[in-house]
Amino acid sequence: MDGIDPAVLSAPVVALDGPDKVTGAARYTFDVALPGMLHAKVLRSPHAHARIVAIDTSRAAALPGVACVVTGADAAALPDPRYGVFLRDQPVLPWDKVRYVGDMVAAVAAVDEVTAYRALALIEVRYEPLPAVMTIEAALAPGAPLLFDEPAAGDPVPVGANATSVKEPRPNVLYEFTYRNGDADAVLAASDRVFEDRFEFSRINHFHLEPHVNVARVIGDQIEIWSCNQDPFVLRNDLARVFDRPVHCVRVHASYVGGGFGGKSYCKMEPLVVLLAMRAGRPVRLALTMDESLLTLTKHAGELILTTGVTADGRLTARKSEIRLDGGAYADASVMTTLKTGYRITGPYRWQAVATRACAVRTNCVPAGSFRGFGGTQASFASESQIDMIARRLGLDPYAFRLKNLLGAGEPFQPNDSAIDSDLVQGLDEVARRLGYHRRPPAATSPLARGMGLSIGIKDGGGTGNHAQALIKVMPSGRAIVHTATVEIGQGATTALSRIAAVALGLPLDWVRYGAIDTDHTPLNNGTHVSCATTVTGAAIERAALDVRRQVLDFAATQLGCVVEALTLQGWAVRRGNVTHPLEPMIAAHFGGAGFEFIGRGQMKVPFDAKAPLNAVNLFWIPNWVGAEVEVDRETGRVRVVRLVAGADAGRSINPAACRGQIEGATLQAYGQALFEELRYDGPTPANATPLAYRVPLASDLPERYESFTAEHAQGPGPFGAKGIGESGMLGVASAIANAIEDAVGVRLTALPFTPERVLAALDAQQVSTTRR
Amino acid sequence: MSAPIEIALTVNGAPRRLTVLPNLVLADLLREDLGLTGCKIGCDQAACGACTVLVDGLPTTACTTFAFEIDGKNLVTIEGLGDGGTHPVQRAFLDHTAFQCGFCTPGMILSVVALLARHPDPDETTIRQWLSANVCRCTGYQMIIDAVRAAAKMRAA
Repeated sequence: MDGIDPAVLSAPVVALDGPDKVTGAARYTFDVALPGMLHAKVLRSPHAHARIVAIDTSRAAALPGVACVVTGADAAALPDPRYGVFLRDQPVLPWDKVRYVGDMVAAVAAVDEVTAYRALALIEVRYEPLPAVMTIEAALAPGAPLLFDEPAAGDPVPVGANATSVKEPRPNVLYEFTYRNGDADAVLAASDRVFEDRFEFSRINHFHLEPHVNVARVIGDQIEIWSCNQDPFVLRNDLARVFDRPVHCVRVHASYVGGGFGGKSYCKMEPLVVLLAMRAGRPVRLALTMDESLLTLTKHAGELILTTGVTADGRLTARKSEIRLDGGAYADASVMTTLKTGYRITGPYRWQAVATRACAVRTNCVPAGSFRGFGGTQASFASESQIDMIARRLGLDPYAFRLKNLLGAGEPFQPNDSAIDSDLVQGLDEVARRLGYHRRPPAATSPLARGMGLSIGIKDGGGTGNHAQALIKVMPSGRAIVHTATVEIGQGATTALSRIAAVALGLPLDWVRYGAIDTDHTPLNNGTHVSCATTVTGAAIERAALDVRRQVLDFAATQLGCVVEALTLQGWAVRRGNVTHPLEPMIAAHFGGAGFEFIGRGQMKVPFDAKAPLNAVNLFWIPNWVGAEVEVDRETGRVRVVRLVAGADAGRSINPAACRGQIEGATLQAYGQALFEELRYDGPTPANATPLAYRVPLASDLPERYESFTAEHAQGPGPFGAKGIGESGMLGVASAIANAIEDAVGVRLTALPFTPERVLAALDAQQVSTTRR
Repeated sequence: MSAPIEIALTVNGAPRRLTVLPNLVLADLLREDLGLTGCKIGCDQAACGACTVLVDGLPTTACTTFAFEIDGKNLVTIEGLGDGGTHPVQRAFLDHTAFQCGFCTPGMILSVVALLARHPDPDETTIRQWLSANVCRCTGYQMIIDAVRAAAKMRAA
């Protein structure tokens, strides 16, 4: 927007949700209670794969205080009982068989949780256990047991030029994405050196502190739900489809969300809660325990095999990739995660040719889906590890090797896609400078060895072909309410989106409030995802603000009997020449009564474009520059991160403190995954799916020195040049630490997490190979 | 089920006499009976610290404490800390944006109050050790640590 003083934008901002959150006044869905509300609990499968032979719920239903019990038979009778993103294979409750330990089998609504738990214990389920496939390899083995006998409902996501998107191409494969640009085989054959490397990405859980929680009420035709879901309108559509209700008969309310990171995106147990409320004829609350949330969704584990060519003088030529992600038992968001992993695997480098194949494999594990930066984290770990490995094999400095091959600002990521809109070199230099990378001492042979590593993660941002609508109501006093469906999940959307409206209207920030979200009243968007709030929804708000501005000036011009061009809006007054006319009395005089509200509307749509690889030109790019200094103990295998530097490009920072918080929060999640955090399977049951056993980073785990920076390269498409950054910090951390470990002790870890056992095994293997030589 | 128990305690400065069942958990007493929903239940097994309240000044996980255990004690929840967020620790959390989703924030703030009561000028290691009783999945902890330092300065001033 023209005429905005950058100083206005960089001024410190007090978060609008702060007072609620530091006083305990903030209301989450967890705190919602309706009169006459029942409490639900879910019976879960103890088997990874089993046929449901019979369920006897009679004793549970007869327990005093139990309102209703539902099973797969009730779900099967629903008009459209499956959900998932693009491909739908997850039943509201399974009626034929269970597909992972933790799969939902039956649910009870009762007067309180204790009674519901007692009723669960009275449900008798007879299972016929089936052989399970717990790994990608087992699922793809010839003759492997199949998770599904029939095809999933729905169609795969449409893609654009040089890409394919295929539903269920092979047994136990949910989805496959391919992309090619040029003839990768021919370019590899002509390359001076070709390297093939395999990487293993780990499974982690979101561990949002507010577990999944929903309260549903059904009155007549009306379904109403108070949900912790990140995507109110996506959920509304799913509920309308599952229950075959017209969409205007479904109403979704959103409150503050107690963390999500993707774990609360898309439809999950919400239809089950609605089904219980329908059966009970009373409102029903289902709050999962954190143990259950651990069994609800994970990030995709997977294996990535990269074949990369390079010239003798260190120029990248072509990359082929074979990617297999573990989608777990049900589709959830596997289609999009697979597509994005496949597309992002090239990293921000110049290539003559690219060929990618990525698929989502069905296994009898917890379903995998959205997790902050999905696909980008998997791809960046493998790609930035291999870039470093190749540099070292060629005897080149990894920093210089990157510099030689990085895409410059203005160069498209792939043909017919958008150009990189950050200065990637500047960000890398900032990390290197802060870390002291160029002055690092040579590797020592002492038991405690230090090393440094760099990384540039990258992903596309803002959602493919995304769109949002927004509405701003401005009252006679100039106080305004912003209405959009972006949920406040901790990312600071309340403040950033209100600020966009405040700056565009020239109003103080505390004159703007972020409206409650209710799909009956709130304008639609596609959910709280892909770091899109500032750019996509923010752009819609900016346009709504301009709409209000125009209406106000039109009104004032009519009242003052002059042309609009003679007026400027200043605070909540119009100025004509040297005279200022306050708006409040003007509005009161004209309308009387309760006053008037100027209602501005705005929308933003990223157009579809079949020429672009993903069927829409990407809106903006999210880089993540990371530098790590580690100390590796050769005797114990312990890796200590002495220093971690992480940066992201906000384009233009609308709330500097929130930007810092996003970068540091995401970075620490990735740091935990790099060093110790993992949801482990040693057999058919997850080994550590409890809050006590599942280890997330604590303050005592922080790197000794930890710093972040927010770059402002001002090339973003959002208001004032803003870009989204929420996912950035996830992208580059694991590879930077792996690169630092190799710098320190000369061994390469290609599987997460970098536990002392893995480091010691790598050091032992190094010892053996050195001795043999 | 055994008989209800009479307890007497101080809740946020006010004396209360309550009748509780022996299996009633403190977190449920606070949330369901006293309407103090600033006490958040995350893991429900004393792993995450979201439900932390102060019992005689000590950080205590309300999800694993029976209501009868606080008989005769002085209980402080986030609602009783300061009038409308005016406690130095609350002000420091606001000034430093030391929260994101906010679900851990009440428990985290109460842990910091207890920390500063024991260590008015804590060093980095002490802060990290104390904060490790509370999981924050959002912030990466650094902005919380900044807030702890600022709150310590405010208290000293």
